[in-house]
Amino acid sequence: MTNTIQILSIEKTGKESSLQKEHNNKSIKIIDGYFFSTNLDDQKFTKISKLISNDVSQTILTKENVNKVLSSYSNFNWVVEIKFLPGVTDNIATTVKEIIKDNLKSSFKSFELGSTKIILIKGRKEDITKISKNEANPLIQTINIYPFKKYLNNFKKDQFKIEKVKLPKKKYSKKEINLDISDYQLSLIGKLGIEENDKSRRGTLGLDLESLKAIRNYFSTIKRKPTDVEIETLAQTWSEHCKHKIFSAKIDDIHEGIFKKYIKGATEKIIQLRKDNFCVSLFTDNAGGIEFNKDWIICHKVETHNTPSALDPFGGAITGIVGVNRDCLGFGKGAKPIANTYAYYLADPNKNYQLYRQKNNKDPMLPANFIAKGIISGVRVGGNCSGIPTPQGNVYFDDRFAGKPLVFCGTVGIIPKKIKGKLSHKKKANPGDIILMAGGRVGKDGIHGATFSSEELDPNSPVSAVQIGDPITQKKMSDVIIRELRDENLYSSITDNGAGGLSSSIGEMAKESGGFIVNLEKVPLKYNGLYPWEIWVSESQERMTLAVPPKNVKKVTKRFNARGVEATIIGKFIKKEKAIVKYNKTEILNLDMEFLHEGYPKLNLKTSFPKIKKEKKKIIKKSSLIDKLHKLLSSPNIVSKEFIATQYDHEVQATSIIKPLQGEGRVFGNATAIKPLFDDEKSIALSQAAYPQYAETNPYDMAGCSIDTAFKNLIVSGANSKKIAILDNFCWCSSDEPDRLYQLKEAAKACYDYAVAYQTPFISGKDSMFNDFKGFDKTGKSVKISIPPTLLISSIGVVDKISHLTKITPDDGDILLVLGNTRNELQDSVYSKIIGYEKSQNPVVNSKDALRTYRNFEKANKLGIINSAIGIDLGGIGIAVTKMAIASNKGLTFDLKLKNKISVNQFLFSETQSRILVSLKKNKLPNFKKIFKASDYTIIGKCTGSNVIEFKDNKKIMRGKISDFAESYKQNIKGL
Amino acid sequence: MNVLVLSGYGINCENETLHAFEVVGFKGKIIHINDLIQNPKQLNNYQVFAVPGGFSYGDDTGSGNAMAKKIMTNLYDQLIDFSLKDKLIIGICNGCQILINLGLVPSLNKKDPEVALIENKSGSYECRWVDVKVSNNKSPWLENISTLNLPVAHQEGQFMIPINLLKSIKANNLIGLQYIDHHKKLAKGQFPFNPNGSKDDIAALTNQNGNVLAMMPHPERAFYHYHIPNWQSNTLKKFGDGYKIFMNAKKFFA
Repeated sequence: MTNTIQILSIEKTGKESSLQKEHNNKSIKIIDGYFFSTNLDDQKFTKISKLISNDVSQTILTKENVNKVLSSYSNFNWVVEIKFLPGVTDNIATTVKEIIKDNLKSSFKSFELGSTKIILIKGRKEDITKISKNEANPLIQTINIYPFKKYLNNFKKDQFKIEKVKLPKKKYSKKEINLDISDYQLSLIGKLGIEENDKSRRGTLGLDLESLKAIRNYFSTIKRKPTDVEIETLAQTWSEHCKHKIFSAKIDDIHEGIFKKYIKGATEKIIQLRKDNFCVSLFTDNAGGIEFNKDWIICHKVETHNTPSALDPFGGAITGIVGVNRDCLGFGKGAKPIANTYAYYLADPNKNYQLYRQKNNKDPMLPANFIAKGIISGVRVGGNCSGIPTPQGNVYFDDRFAGKPLVFCGTVGIIPKKIKGKLSHKKKANPGDIILMAGGRVGKDGIHGATFSSEELDPNSPVSAVQIGDPITQKKMSDVIIRELRDENLYSSITDNGAGGLSSSIGEMAKESGGFIVNLEKVPLKYNGLYPWEIWVSESQERMTLAVPPKNVKKVTKRFNARGVEATIIGKFIKKEKAIVKYNKTEILNLDMEFLHEGYPKLNLKTSFPKIKKEKKKIIKKSSLIDKLHKLLSSPNIVSKEFIATQYDHEVQATSIIKPLQGEGRVFGNATAIKPLFDDEKSIALSQAAYPQYAETNPYDMAGCSIDTAFKNLIVSGANSKKIAILDNFCWCSSDEPDRLYQLKEAAKACYDYAVAYQTPFISGKDSMFNDFKGFDKTGKSVKISIPPTLLISSIGVVDKISHLTKITPDDGDILLVLGNTRNELQDSVYSKIIGYEKSQNPVVNSKDALRTYRNFEKANKLGIINSAIGIDLGGIGIAVTKMAIASNKGLTFDLKLKNKISVNQFLFSETQSRILVSLKKNKLPNFKKIFKASDYTIIGKCTGSNVIEFKDNKKIMRGKISDFAESYKQNIKGL
Repeated sequence: MNVLVLSGYGINCENETLHAFEVVGFKGKIIHINDLIQNPKQLNNYQVFAVPGGFSYGDDTGSGNAMAKKIMTNLYDQLIDFSLKDKLIIGICNGCQILINLGLVPSLNKKDPEVALIENKSGSYECRWVDVKVSNNKSPWLENISTLNLPVAHQEGQFMIPINLLKSIKANNLIGLQYIDHHKKLAKGQFPFNPNGSKDDIAALTNQNGNVLAMMPHPERAFYHYHIPNWQSNTLKKFGDGYKIFMNAKKFFA
């Protein structure tokens, strides 16, 4: 009899090697442990062990062999046991349970199972502590460190224990909340949550005093007290995360708010000007949709998952990516996810920031490298396991992300325009439709996620807000929806369960029918003991809500079940505009839909011009041009991100046509393309851009640069300039301060101006307004770290023909030209940061000049005049030229005898926008000149095919070997 | 000529795999594993059984293990029967891991698996293009092919083979594909040419008849010319190297 199965690899695993290398210790071994809540007899032990292990590569530990097997590796003396805290998603355990259920049909009754990682070392206790810090997160895992002898003893005496969720068995009785209390008491409910009978608080609701007063007024009009469920629901629905109150608030003299005026306003203006069918579904659905070809629509959505990723980087990021996948599944009648995008804004992983959420070095922030690694692998597991390619992304480092990392996750989806003759992007839950919840079960995970992501990160941030995604459960659900249900038109509406859980998804869908009645006791739970309000707002992942006509319910449920997916009837949509929730027949929520969605007090915001903080000026260090290039190439924001591209499957679905690593020399590209349909040569090009480094100086120009770069990168890749759409993701800080709001207003204004100028509509967006950290440093001094305002613009465009797709590799004899003019715009450039400050400015986008360049480029490209091209961005022309040389492994000569009045440094490293580096075959020059005016381009050199890059000025020739540049460019990022 | 392409529980390359078969002339269908278990007789309607890539059961308990166990419990005899006929079986990436866990290749002593696919030596997921050479050109899948340029995308692609077994695998000529370097010489374990540290640079194994092929690289992702990295430099070809594998399947039944 035993209650544990422990398995180890006979040979050293890749993970063990990397741990050994990282910790400089040759005696590290990892054991996969499975702890059972019940004892297994010998027969069961043998059967199950065989089912979950591999005879050839692994050994199963038993009481008899454990000592002998382990001593053959080393004289281990310390052990760390890492397992999930009760209630945290344990995907491996789920799989093992399923294997047992599938293969041992007669099996045993119900049992609990937990997967455990056991690491053995020979070394000191400090060593194992250090390893455990790098391998586990105390927020979601328990970490037990003990001597090896105790481990052997545990083994012999069956003392490995799993941690079960132990919720007190409680009988629910309806809880009414008295709001006729002092303002102070009222505000405590908002900040700390509803008070339980034992005086403890449930956790932040994120409701301000004004909102609570509006709730109080509503209930005094209907002459009763609110229930806890009603207050929880209003908190979710009215959260900044769900309602975007700041974007819709009156701000200064803009009554309609900046979203309506600048973002939606831009799109409306563009639709009016364009008069075509490009824009299909904007702002109203889970993602924005545009026309791909005559039969298909593509949609795109980008989300942020910043706060969860700060607390649990892996869980936050995986939930971010599988969450945004569901936004696609919830677009129209359900779009198939066909590409993921990512963008991470992180602190320097090589630095130790030592930040604490509480005084006296308590409650530390996770180390920057732990956060970075966790985020990168979260998206890897989420994307790869879902079978969705992840071609497009980038990473940017800055100290100001030390308090909160920014994690942007995006997904592109595709859906036929019509399904059974009906427009697929239109959906409507009808009165009488059944509310069906499909996918995963509901637990305590993610409770209060929506309300707390709208707040700053401080000691009261709830840890149950953390979730871990389960991509396989979602994949199973997604396959049923896209392949089996959608095209038969078996449901009338669909949306995902993200922030706010059922309260939010059903609340939103019910707008289509009128209202809803939900029976919460029907919702399948991960474990017993949840309060109704917890079921209602839980953000447990992998769930979609469907509105199914009663006649189809049986069929739909059967299809889900046949594929191993749970689907449960939990209520129905009604015509009456009422939101009603019952729990075992007791009515616990009854609100007017109008109040639920529109009852929150509208904000009235004022802005003020911020004081510009002048940074210290750096002294210019003299170094050679070649030296500078090496320094820039190896700097974290320019260096290759190949190590991410190779761990993200970008080939699955066989659609990758412009890959993240480009040319023989594998340069990390700034745009990628997929060809989503086998029978149409059209492709989708993707890119993104943000310039947080420019934000503090001038937020208007910062936003202009983001739009310009995101647009330009698609033009350069070969997209049709009339078929480019963009998405906005504002990640701001301290959005209750007038100067931050001023910056926000300015950035939004630029969004309008540049989108309209380029005629590229915004189709979707999301904002995250409080990316601040308030806590303490190691000396106990209180600190506030705010991110620099960051506006990520994601671009999606259609490339009409395969022949329009460009490459970044020139050929021997090609002439090199820069399209667009270069100005002295070095202020907050990479050059300034790495090499030395020069008095200068930040880039200002001239949309008229830019558009001329883009239109001419497009024309020349379609005519086959362009041989290769690369967008010029960070590091300027100098870096663009070097990347071309590395990509093609072909030498270039570069002429520095400049005609205009800027210095060599300015010319090479200025980050002036709207410029493209191109190469042409010599004989195409006459045709090129027919399109481009002489003042719009500069010939700067040619491709020699040698193994060096040469820079020639009047006096001398400077040379650098391509292989040396490639080495600098491909350096590892320190700390990762 | 009909191909059955398996799906379910996280397999995710079924669409492109079916497409590749269809382009070369097969008729085919994607069938969910649960439907196949319900009605295993439908296997008789097919000449090719394809297990595509993906992440069945999220690779938990070892890539391909959980799905292999499900097949072993429910479909093993039917699948063995299939493999003993004049029919073809291919497993690609996760499909390869499933076939190896089922022991369908190399299948020298039947039933029990003798080979394992373990984590890449690098310890990380590797999505990259590699060159492989055909070692066993007796297999109908690999006939008349010398080298191929294909992508791999896996976390656990390192073939682990006990020494004695490796000897008989070689003696029986069951190594399907091996990773090679830029000079078309065996990669000798050198990264990134051999992306996972596989013993003897093995990228694919076959059974003794050669009709069952378990390969880690993805031929369906190298099907058209525009799949190949930097294809813009050579736009004359219509297909990529992966096409050859599917054409061979067609030729086998022609």
